[in-house]
Amino acid sequence: MSRRLLCLYLPDLSADSAGAKQRLIEWCNRYSPLVADDGFSGIAVDITGCAHLFGGEEALLSDIQTRIRHAGHRVRGAIADTLGAAWALARYSKQVIVSGSELPQALNPLPVEGLRLPEEITRALRRVGLTTIAAFQKVSRQAIVTRFGQATLLRLDQAFGQAEETITPYRRRAPYSARRALAEPISTTTAVEYVLLDLLKELCTRLQKDHAGARRLNLDCYRVDGIVVPCSISTSKPVRSVKHLIRLFSEKLETIDSGFGIETLILSVLNFDRFDPAQLAFAQFNPDRLENIEALDELIDRLGTRLGFQHVTRVRIRESMLPEYSVEFRPVTEPQLPSALWPEYRLRPVYWIDPPMHIEVATIHPAGSPVQFRMGRDIHRIVKAEGPERLTPEWWRAEPLRWEIRDYYRIEDDRGCRFWIYQELRVPPSSTTRWFLQGHLP
Amino acid sequence: MLIVPTREVHAPNVVLSDLREKIGALEGAPRRFARTVPVCDAIDDALPGRGLPLGCIHEVKGHPASVTAFAGLLSARIPRQGAVLYIEPARSLYPLGLLPYAVNLQHWVHVRARRERDLVWTVLEALRCPQVNAVLAALKTADLTFSRRLQLAAESSGATGFVFGNMASAITRWRVSSIRNFNWSVELLYCRGGRPGSWNVAWRNGQLESTDLSRPMQREQITAQAGRLAG
Repeated sequence: MSRRLLCLYLPDLSADSAGAKQRLIEWCNRYSPLVADDGFSGIAVDITGCAHLFGGEEALLSDIQTRIRHAGHRVRGAIADTLGAAWALARYSKQVIVSGSELPQALNPLPVEGLRLPEEITRALRRVGLTTIAAFQKVSRQAIVTRFGQATLLRLDQAFGQAEETITPYRRRAPYSARRALAEPISTTTAVEYVLLDLLKELCTRLQKDHAGARRLNLDCYRVDGIVVPCSISTSKPVRSVKHLIRLFSEKLETIDSGFGIETLILSVLNFDRFDPAQLAFAQFNPDRLENIEALDELIDRLGTRLGFQHVTRVRIRESMLPEYSVEFRPVTEPQLPSALWPEYRLRPVYWIDPPMHIEVATIHPAGSPVQFRMGRDIHRIVKAEGPERLTPEWWRAEPLRWEIRDYYRIEDDRGCRFWIYQELRVPPSSTTRWFLQGHLP
Repeated sequence: MLIVPTREVHAPNVVLSDLREKIGALEGAPRRFARTVPVCDAIDDALPGRGLPLGCIHEVKGHPASVTAFAGLLSARIPRQGAVLYIEPARSLYPLGLLPYAVNLQHWVHVRARRERDLVWTVLEALRCPQVNAVLAALKTADLTFSRRLQLAAESSGATGFVFGNMASAITRWRVSSIRNFNWSVELLYCRGGRPGSWNVAWRNGQLESTDLSRPMQREQITAQAGRLAG
């Protein structure tokens, strides 16, 4: 597949509106990870392999143009195999999408200004009668170089795809970063930790000055063989304590493969949040307890770093009677939402069985309470049964929950084991109703 | 460390209590049993500090539902402000079932550690945290070295560990099983300085009540009630 480049011409954006252009470049990252300033009043986007995500090149182009126009800028875009061609088409052609073989045909009628040359060279070209790109075909390459310089030939070749041209993609700069280049490559974990401590001290001081705390950090280890080994951590709350961060990193440092040695380390804060210095209450102002105040947050971060934050959760009660929905295990990193009040007379199991286990239940008459059930080989004679507690599906739920009406029973067998079982009720009633074990009561 | 004696020791004899204190000091018991929480009137009599000691490891065996509720209700009684961590390899806790046992789920943090070595690491780290009140852990087994490490971690931070598995060393060992009539049979299998025993208890009106009719206090109560009825 050949490269596809999109060039946007933004005549409104002059040199003094660099900030607006920068924001547009950042915004263009939604189309492709390779976005760059084209050096003139435009933006270059490498959309190789990206267009199908937006429904084809035409759809992508019209989407990007419409959105930029809505933001209040004049814009014209073009897509071609080379950056030079796309740049020229965006400015001087009616045809905006050109693929491989059509390229010379589309470029030839365009004026020489389409070659991205300095103004005095364009003027010189016009003076000798070279007004269109097609006119160059009659001139030998040697003549172009001697009369107008190597750069003119290069631009010409770049437009037709005979010379390579790369774009330097814009990367969001980390808001805080620190770098250490080492005199001698290091390879032991202890040495890396030592450098990291130094980097963390620097960054934490800067964070403190800005009343900020890190949420996500990344350490890039540049190895002598040119490979970059990343190592990143995240925290549940904004943090700027060196001690805390070094402990989070030390879990990960052992996994770094230092190869023949690491020569440069760059630590960057990828995400940060506002973190104002806390005012300690008088009762808290006790040096022994001072370090304990954040102990739980530190523990949760360490557990999350090792086990994954989705496994470190707080319990939230949701407003639903359905047993599957009424409890949510919410990662500690997510903002806490208020819990609903649970009516305590609705007793629930402590031990949950998911998915519910199919059991065979005997009842005296079809709609009666259970008297005996069989689970695998064990037969449980039911001594007490409380129920039914009828739970009906909640139609307002967006998720398709395909279960029927359930009749729940709390039962106790002759050995004193307590279960929470239910019967599935079908509409219309069928002869075979199925029973399930949902959990164990304490 | 904040020392909150939740119940005073009623000693019948000054000499005896002095002696007990001296022996206790030699054994290192007072530090261990300085903070306790009451379990149930009948059971407290069998425990040396008249309550379940905090800042140490307890082994609780039985059905997962019963042991979780038992450990949950005891951890809810710890007066210090702090978190309760529930650590298990697969998510099988259904927290709504704990609400009748006066458990405040706001303080609970559920941790899932799938691999065994992550699980033991998590339990140890959690027990070391001074802001953790209790750790409820579904550990399968712990050898002598690891049990001791857990105990030391709990002592250093003041957190109380309830381990639902076989511990090579623990301060107390319990077995909780559900019996008929929505009651529990609570067995104290081992407690240094305490009297092992078995009690039938029920959870009524926000506390554990003994349902053993053979206990003298119960008998007195019944006679008193009978007297009132007769009169």
